[in-house]
Amino acid sequence: MNIYKELTQGKGYAVVEIEDMQIFKELRNSFIKKINISNDYKNDMNLVREKIAKMSKAEVNQCMIDLLKFNNLSEMIINSCPKLVETLCGKELFIQRRATIVMNVPGEGQAKQWPHYELMSGISPFTYVIWAPLHDLEENSGVYYVDQKQSLEIMKKEQETGIVNGPMVLNMMSEQKPEQLNFGQAIVFNPFVLHGNIAFNSKFARVAYNVRFQSCNKPLLQKNSDYLKYHQLN
Amino acid sequence: MTVATITTDINIGPFKIPSNGQNMIMNNYAQRNNIIVELVIPEPMMSQALATVQWIHKERKLTKVILSSIHQLPTEEDRINELLMNMKGVEFHFALEGINGKGESFLKEVIKEAKIFMKSQSIESTKTTWLDLHKTMKNS
Repeated sequence: MNIYKELTQGKGYAVVEIEDMQIFKELRNSFIKKINISNDYKNDMNLVREKIAKMSKAEVNQCMIDLLKFNNLSEMIINSCPKLVETLCGKELFIQRRATIVMNVPGEGQAKQWPHYELMSGISPFTYVIWAPLHDLEENSGVYYVDQKQSLEIMKKEQETGIVNGPMVLNMMSEQKPEQLNFGQAIVFNPFVLHGNIAFNSKFARVAYNVRFQSCNKPLLQKNSDYLKYHQLN
Repeated sequence: MTVATITTDINIGPFKIPSNGQNMIMNNYAQRNNIIVELVIPEPMMSQALATVQWIHKERKLTKVILSSIHQLPTEEDRINELLMNMKGVEFHFALEGINGKGESFLKEVIKEAKIFMKSQSIESTKTTWLDLHKTMKNS
């Protein structure tokens, strides 16, 4: 099954290889530079992750806010997977104006992301998300995805009762198995696939980015120029 | 050396933002970016010319202006040209988009982007359901 069919008709998500590793490595090195934890860390991602793992929640949040100044992150991600993006959406795109870098600290009670569908934020049904870690993932430290068929069943049940992201979804955090990815791999998924993360044990924090994109020839939903910007692939 | 925020009509491209909402958005942007606002310029409703701003600029020599969105810029060619000519050295900030710059090429680029957004179709979220949206995606 090709990637477009897999995302629209199949599981709704797929593991892909980053196409341009040079851009991807530059992206990781820019992150290390911008997070500015210590000059000694140079390009050693694990030292940075170890330091983040010891930060308080407030410090982690502040770092993530500071990283919003990484204002060419979206383009770097998109340009590291040009064939994938073009296959799904063509060359003329709306991409997330400020892509996000999310840092997850290990330990119980630290899971940041409740299960959710991306669509609930108001992005259009034609949007795709690329999510990728900036290092190899330790066991259970990634994101779990609920395949499209099951996600849709839950959505149907919720719609019948007039609920969105209710207890049925929120109780899905247990017994989920996150995808195991290595540095250089990413997950691309559609906005209807439920996903989230669970607590994990490690001495390292998890650092991953995500970016949303759609064809600029497809309709928007609620997100507009506040969230998206025009981008043309070379 | 004057920094101003500009409020306009409630209808701003795809958004509907009352003027006190616009003020909140712009003041928060100014605070986050350490910009001290000295003047608040209310443009009249039902106008997208930014003419008041241009008249005030002649008197007060504005250095920076903050708008809520790129969709508040003029859309008509003659209005755009007037703005480009009269506001050459003024730095424009757009709070919702989080972008800023000055000069003709920056403003033209921003106006072009606003036009691209206004040209795109939009799904009316009050007239659909989650499952309909899923069908739309699956059948695309």
